[in-house]
Amino acid sequence: MSNATTELAKGPKEIDRLKKIDFKMISFTLAGKDYGIDILKVKEIRKAGNFTKVPNTPIFVRGVDNLRGDIIPVIDLRVMFNLPAETKDSTSLENIVILRLDSLVLGVVVDSIEKVVGIASEAIQPPHPIFGDINIQYINGVVENEGRLYIILDVDRIFGEPADAPEPTAQAEPKGLALPEADEAQTLAAPVPGESIVPLDLQFVGETLAAFGQFHLSPLNRGWVSERLLEWKKMRQQKGLDFQVTQKDEAEDFLTTFPSPNTARIWTAEAVSSLADLLSFDVPSLVVWNPGCGRGYESYSLALMFQTRFQDKAFKIWASDNDLLSISTAPSLVLDDEELELSWKEHTVQTKNGLQFNAEIKSRILFEFHDVNHLNPMPEVHLAVLRDVISFLKPSDQEKLVTELSEKVRSGGFLLLGTHERLNQPEWKFLGNDTWSVYQKL
Amino acid sequence: MRVEYINPFVEAAYNVLTEVLATEVKRGNLFLKSATKPVMGVAAIVGLAGEVEGRVLFDMSKQTAIKIASVMNMEELTEIDDLVKATISELANMITAQAVTKLHELGFKFDLTPPALITGDNMEISDQEVEALIVPMESPHGNIEINVAVRERS
Repeated sequence: MSNATTELAKGPKEIDRLKKIDFKMISFTLAGKDYGIDILKVKEIRKAGNFTKVPNTPIFVRGVDNLRGDIIPVIDLRVMFNLPAETKDSTSLENIVILRLDSLVLGVVVDSIEKVVGIASEAIQPPHPIFGDINIQYINGVVENEGRLYIILDVDRIFGEPADAPEPTAQAEPKGLALPEADEAQTLAAPVPGESIVPLDLQFVGETLAAFGQFHLSPLNRGWVSERLLEWKKMRQQKGLDFQVTQKDEAEDFLTTFPSPNTARIWTAEAVSSLADLLSFDVPSLVVWNPGCGRGYESYSLALMFQTRFQDKAFKIWASDNDLLSISTAPSLVLDDEELELSWKEHTVQTKNGLQFNAEIKSRILFEFHDVNHLNPMPEVHLAVLRDVISFLKPSDQEKLVTELSEKVRSGGFLLLGTHERLNQPEWKFLGNDTWSVYQKL
Repeated sequence: MRVEYINPFVEAAYNVLTEVLATEVKRGNLFLKSATKPVMGVAAIVGLAGEVEGRVLFDMSKQTAIKIASVMNMEELTEIDDLVKATISELANMITAQAVTKLHELGFKFDLTPPALITGDNMEISDQEVEALIVPMESPHGNIEINVAVRERS
């Protein structure tokens, strides 16, 4: 009797449970068995092959793959779990599930990708030691759906940081809150702030800025990013938002205060004069190198500076940019009449397209379509101007360019970086101020 | 590469190809390249000297070379013979000459060397000192890559 009632009570409940689908997973097979991964962890699925092998890695690491410009590691789950894997020749395409975990994106190779399966999370049963193929701690549970048994993998456990890794983040948080006072004490001139910033936060922000803003965190800009992060945290807290930068527009927001003053416009006479005060040259003819000149405002401003403040010097400015559209307009840059200071007017002429600099100024600058990461066939230069250029190169290219600058700029010559960029190297002496990041080569 | 040089080469390539092939030609996106580059099979090289130094390289597959030479000679050609070689050299000469003429009008002076034609499989070209501007042109007869490496004498 009591048995019958429980049967009755179970009936509708069973139906309810089937209806309530609150967990979706991607199903795939490994060595003929069905597996699932929480769909929220899956970024995409794709076919790829011919991975670049990385030496000295565990056997289950197939190499790295280029996912539309992002280099991601590719791991073979079958090898990882000691399952039989058919060996394909290196050129054939394989099924890849791209996973997005907290801090990394990676691809896993599986046999075949089936479909998306929706289930009720309460239908998931704890793993049973009988599924001996895969270490039980990597299994979230087992679920039955339409007559098939799926083993749900816990990808966070499999690929995540070792269990003790997240701890420092939690501990570091209060330290971060206590930070503002410590940081205010620091002067701008200090190139690298102390250990005060939570390194992990800085690293996370750095990663998103690289992904969305093409801005790469490096010793050159670490000082600014740390300060900006504190400011950003305060701002976001006031709005009740999380401080993590997760989207393109947030990355752009974060970087709004990075560009140096007078970017993308002709410099003011006052700015030109304050820069000229910091520079001095002892030879009659000067070579200026200005990679990343964009539409040419910076190069023209430099020409104005030499023309007005260093009249006795002959100078040539080599300006270049790798953006074809910007650099194409640079040789005949049309000026905004209202924005241009009166004192510069004597160096301009009215053309049929609008106000432009005169032939005297133009003949001093040579605009080139050129990528600074390629070989730079430059003679020795007396002044190199790279405001807010190096920070937007990949870290390895940044290093290469900084080394190249040390070779290209002659001893006693100058280097002008972006207002928020600082170079911390013994052969460069900082001569600048809050506006001009000027270095002299020793 | 100096900005002023880019357009003359792109325009000359477009004009000459449209005219001699009597068909629609499309220009691909321009880009820069500095590393070693594979050559598709037939390459015509024209050297530049004067205020600048450098060279222009016209690169295409053998099939494309034969098809283009067939159209230009108005007869069906089937292999890379002397006529095909002479035709492709001439095409390179025409394009470079037109570009140099345009540049001369803008006030830049340089001279050309006679074109040299190189054919073979698995060839590569490397420029250690100059970065090259690649102008890809697409025609119904196949693709031609124009590889311009020019630099100022410093």
